Amino acid sequence: MFALTRLIVIGFVALTVIYVIVSFWSRALRRRKLRREWEEEGRPGDRETFVETGLKAYDGSLRRKLILGVYIIPVCIVGLIIYLTNFH
Amino acid sequence: MVYIKWAFWITFWGLVAAFFHYTLPQHDIARITDTYEKRIDFGENSIFWASADVGNDTGTVNRDVFFIQTVRTNDRVMVYRNEDTGWGWPPYFKFDTSNLQAEAADLKSTSDAPKWVMIKHYGWRNEFMSIFPNAVSVKPVAGPDAGTGIPWLNIIILTVFFAFVWAIWVRWRRFRAARIDPMVEDMTESWDAAGDAVADRRSRAKRWLDSWRAK
Repeated sequence: MFALTRLIVIGFVALTVIYVIVSFWSRALRRRKLRREWEEEGRPGDRETFVETGLKAYDGSLRRKLILGVYIIPVCIVGLIIYLTNFH
Repeated sequence: MVYIKWAFWITFWGLVAAFFHYTLPQHDIARITDTYEKRIDFGENSIFWASADVGNDTGTVNRDVFFIQTVRTNDRVMVYRNEDTGWGWPPYFKFDTSNLQAEAADLKSTSDAPKWVMIKHYGWRNEFMSIFPNAVSVKPVAGPDAGTGIPWLNIIILTVFFAFVWAIWVRWRRFRAARIDPMVEDMTESWDAAGDAVADRRSRAKRWLDSWRAK
């Protein structure tokens, strides 16, 4: 039981670090992309407002929720390995 | 300095290679001659042993470990241990040790009527440290010439690992070129300038001294 707890705790901490890094990185990428879009669209209105609106749309998007895969994929892989090693 | 640098990187990559060679799965074609269990008192070699069966007490100083004796296709013997890795490292998540022992016992054969099996395992056999590779699964195969297949899993894991290394390396190079090199150059330049100034002053002093020397 101790070994499982240890795996879950360490795994959760490690995956959370990855999740946070990927979230920030993805948001920064989106911000850069929005700024470029603003340039290309002939600078419609205030740049910051344009970027903020774009980021708000991004916050509610499916693309952002896909980052939760950072948690889901390793758990699925572990499940698959357990099945293949022990019951296949 | 260059030698230290080389020694450091050779040691580092040697350890990385050893780590992967120990941890990644490998396949042997062999014939099982016997299975047994033996009590092991773990000593200096304790990190080369996995854990007690999942759910059992982990605080004991010794325990019985299953072993599988085999003869490989090159007629040399190999002894595998058969232990749970459980939830720990390496992440094989093996819980079916006793079942595997039963399967291995079922596939026992003699040299007169050999039954060949493919044994998936990780780890090393080392006689000087009394360590054994851990068998993960056994599967009957047609004969001693059966192939072990392309190790796709190892290829994928190593590719991903080296992709990561490459990504970090490229970023480090870029960071160094942008931040550290200009700083070092700056320092070298001012150092050189200081050196030149000192040399200049010295030669002037020398000329002044020379002017007093008897010609």
